[in-house]
Amino acid sequence: MRSWRDPSEKTLALLLLAPAFFLIALIVIYPVGKLIYTSLFDMQLSGGARALDFVGLRNFEDALKDKEFWHAARNTLLITVVTVPGALVVGLGLALLANLPFRYKWVVRLSLLLPWALPLSFCGLIFAWFFHTDYGIVNDVLRMLGAPEPTMWLLNPTWAMAAICLTIIWKTSSFMALILLAGLQMIPRSLYEAAQVDGATRWQQFWQVTLPLLVPSIVVALIFRTLTALQTFDIPYTMTKGGPGSSTETLAMLIHKTTIDYLDLGYGSALAVFMFLMSMLVTAVYLRQIGKQA
Amino acid sequence: MQTAVFRCDFFQTHVNYHWRQTMKRRLFGNSISTLAAALCMAVGLISMPATADTKLRVFSGGQNQRPDLMRKLFDSYQAKNPGVTIDIETGGATSELQRQYLSTVLNAKDTAIDIYMIDIVNPSQYFNAGWLEPLDSYVGGAQALKPYLPVYSQANLVNGKVAAMPAFADAMFMYYRKDLLEKHGIKEPKTWDELAASAKKVLDAEKNPNLQGLSIQGAPIEGAVCTFLLPYWSQGKQFNDAAGKLTLDKDTAVKGLDMWLKLVDSGVMKKNIAEVTTPITVNEFKAGQVLFAINWGFAWDVFKDAADSQVKGKVGVMPLPAMAGGKSATCVGGWQWAVSAFSKNKQAAADLVKFMSTPETSKFLAVEGSLLPVFQSVYTDAAVLAQAPWFKDAANVIIAGQARPISSQYGQVSDVVRTNTNAALARTKTPAEAVADIDSRLTRVMR
Amino acid sequence: MNLWTSARLRLFAAVWIVFNGVFPVLWILFTSLKPEAELVQKPITWWPHSPTLMHYQHAFTEQPLLHYLGNSLIVASLSTVLSLIVATGAAYAIARLNLRYRQWILTAIVASSMFPLIALLVPIFEIMRSLGLLNTYTALILPYTVLNLPVCTLVLVSFFQSIPRDLENAAMIDGCSRIGALWHVVIPLAAPGVFTAGILAFVNAWDEFLLALSLNASAAMRTAPVGIAMYQGEYTFPWPLISAALIVTIIPVALLIALFQERVIGGLTQGGLKG
Repeated sequence: MRSWRDPSEKTLALLLLAPAFFLIALIVIYPVGKLIYTSLFDMQLSGGARALDFVGLRNFEDALKDKEFWHAARNTLLITVVTVPGALVVGLGLALLANLPFRYKWVVRLSLLLPWALPLSFCGLIFAWFFHTDYGIVNDVLRMLGAPEPTMWLLNPTWAMAAICLTIIWKTSSFMALILLAGLQMIPRSLYEAAQVDGATRWQQFWQVTLPLLVPSIVVALIFRTLTALQTFDIPYTMTKGGPGSSTETLAMLIHKTTIDYLDLGYGSALAVFMFLMSMLVTAVYLRQIGKQA
Repeated sequence: MQTAVFRCDFFQTHVNYHWRQTMKRRLFGNSISTLAAALCMAVGLISMPATADTKLRVFSGGQNQRPDLMRKLFDSYQAKNPGVTIDIETGGATSELQRQYLSTVLNAKDTAIDIYMIDIVNPSQYFNAGWLEPLDSYVGGAQALKPYLPVYSQANLVNGKVAAMPAFADAMFMYYRKDLLEKHGIKEPKTWDELAASAKKVLDAEKNPNLQGLSIQGAPIEGAVCTFLLPYWSQGKQFNDAAGKLTLDKDTAVKGLDMWLKLVDSGVMKKNIAEVTTPITVNEFKAGQVLFAINWGFAWDVFKDAADSQVKGKVGVMPLPAMAGGKSATCVGGWQWAVSAFSKNKQAAADLVKFMSTPETSKFLAVEGSLLPVFQSVYTDAAVLAQAPWFKDAANVIIAGQARPISSQYGQVSDVVRTNTNAALARTKTPAEAVADIDSRLTRVMR
Repeated sequence: MNLWTSARLRLFAAVWIVFNGVFPVLWILFTSLKPEAELVQKPITWWPHSPTLMHYQHAFTEQPLLHYLGNSLIVASLSTVLSLIVATGAAYAIARLNLRYRQWILTAIVASSMFPLIALLVPIFEIMRSLGLLNTYTALILPYTVLNLPVCTLVLVSFFQSIPRDLENAAMIDGCSRIGALWHVVIPLAAPGVFTAGILAFVNAWDEFLLALSLNASAAMRTAPVGIAMYQGEYTFPWPLISAALIVTIIPVALLIALFQERVIGGLTQGGLKG
């Protein structure tokens, strides 16, 4: 038996991990450090006073008292809770369908991944156009089906949020489908054959063979879907700009607004730290799953 | 000497040469430029004599700011000042993209760009953030702003210092279908009520389901700030005083928003007016689907010259109507030239800025690009009027025009006003609620 | 033959998947062929009534689109390759080697994606500026690698974990070093994972907007998404022109996907185990 306590293993591990850590230190750790540092100051660039006030945790307190922050956080959580399972279900469905034997596999797989290939920054614009009251195809289809009045989708807070979630699910289910499909393809056919010999129906095969073996892929897909859902910015920003009013504003949009428009870097950084804490909280559960696998 | 690397925008004469130079330099010359920059800093150059080999980099917005015309002006400047080379950087096609880019770049104190073209609402905010070089010593003090239209001298004077020099002007005008008004025997409306009545008369007579009476911008874009302010100013009230403190008269503001909503209810404006952006108004008017439209100065040329314009020769321009018992008011736009506080060539940059804000330059831009001048005299210049006869009336409109709130926190002011206006027009908030929100949030900010 | 694998189900599946993915792209394609005036017609037109190719021509003449695409290609390819190399190493170390804090290391890598890019933008810009890397390919390649690292690493970790250790042990008993086993046994078996991670990284890098806008703002170094945003003006939004540019930008990615989809998804038909 090979000894697993081989010291050269540790060196190897460090060597393999070093590049990753170097890059992360440069691009993430230093900026994050700066971010946390800034969040402890009252740094408003357009306030006129250039001297920096150290204010400790006041920015964080202000955030907790800020109506806009809670509204944006609530919108973000709503989007997360709707689009993460939504993208998973749709993505899983698409992946299972795409796993069927096709004659022209590349057509199916290309179509599966095209939503992912469309630049995010334009996805929102395109779907905003689809949902446009006058020029959108949604209203055109409804008109052809006999609807009396065109619905103003993006001017109604609920419908606007629904349209945003739909767009996000459309785009990200492609991402989920890709990861799940690769996972599906890793499941050896022999297992299905064995189950079939044992008399399992297709449905039972799905629950007892496919799903358990797919769990690692599902967890991976869920982690990133959740993280990106918490950071949702591009689609609501380009679709509604947070409208009508500010009813579809997400936390990332608020951070963007505070930092870029208001030039209030201290407060913006504090909001970003909150977003990190939220992400940490939500994904701790997922990662424990991965730990159990290893 | 500064050997920072330059790229041009999409103009063929410069493109290929500079790109190849750029590629070479960027791949192999990073260290050289860093070293050169270090040398420059060691020598402590703040102002350089223009006779030295100077390269200036100008950030001049996007398409609608006519970089092609600016290029011609820069070429003529280069011809008169050998030793100065000017490169244009077009970044940020829209206000938002520009703000995004500038906030990042100026925040990090980037020295690469010497001159910025900024919107009329920005001098106060950027100057207070310490990003703009005060131009007093270069242009001869605050009196250098006197020759310009009053609204521009005001907007560019921040805390008594010259923050930027005016480039060209802009304002919101009321465009209308001359042919339709003539057909129905209607005169130019002077008040909003008259406009509503005229529109109704034409809409009822034309029986065209696609024809809109009036198109304004209700989407949460910068233009929505103007949508809020137009009826407010028209009733004679001010949004803030000279010191920048909020002086919002809530009842007046509510009346203003109510006026827009009444127009929606009576069918003059379409129900989803809160979805309308500037391009949509332009495209719909151009396609002949709108009777009255509020838009910026550039629209005139679009309606007149665009290949697919259905309204050529049928368009009239007039000042905005007034509220009952009030005066006509319009929102002023326009762009300014500012020198970066982090520039390595401040003297040279300031010289160029001075050149770009002379009456001759203003006339050139007016004749070549129909860009509204910042000097009153240029409006009545014969050559200019030959090109754009409507400028004759435009001058009065701009002189009577008002600038949006000049605040060091304009980003926040704009956001609060435009989102609330959008909410009121989308009817997710009543006008009273929207105005109350504006008041409570901006009282803190505009003190 | 089971009903579920019938041709009808496959047809339904194919139609659904193709419609879902292709419809918006098809819409953009149609829009790019319409003259601008047709866009404000009511009721709206689906199929272009008077199709024209002028927008494609304008897309290339109004801006150096081809050049932007070249920049995107270079940045995306290099950052993908770098991501895969770094992620494979890290994933192998985590999945296979006996590290005490394995779980924490993985968490740390994944945690690096928990900060919104908006908040990190200015510090990253400052770093690039002080390193003199602004408006270079490196300025984008480094952050893109880091942005893709968590996804790639996690995907590869899960793929490596599902490959039984016996195979490597067998290779190592036969005289392979660990790295050799990694290269000759593990990676080929995890090929779907590697190509999945590769495609994800490439597409992410290709479509990234915020960093590209800020770090590589000069016209010569712009990437495609930023370039497309430049067709609009303060007061104009030329949908057909932008649609044409979008189609042109999607084509390389679509080609790549079409070429590599077999590797990503069709890799293991035999399964990793025999019997």
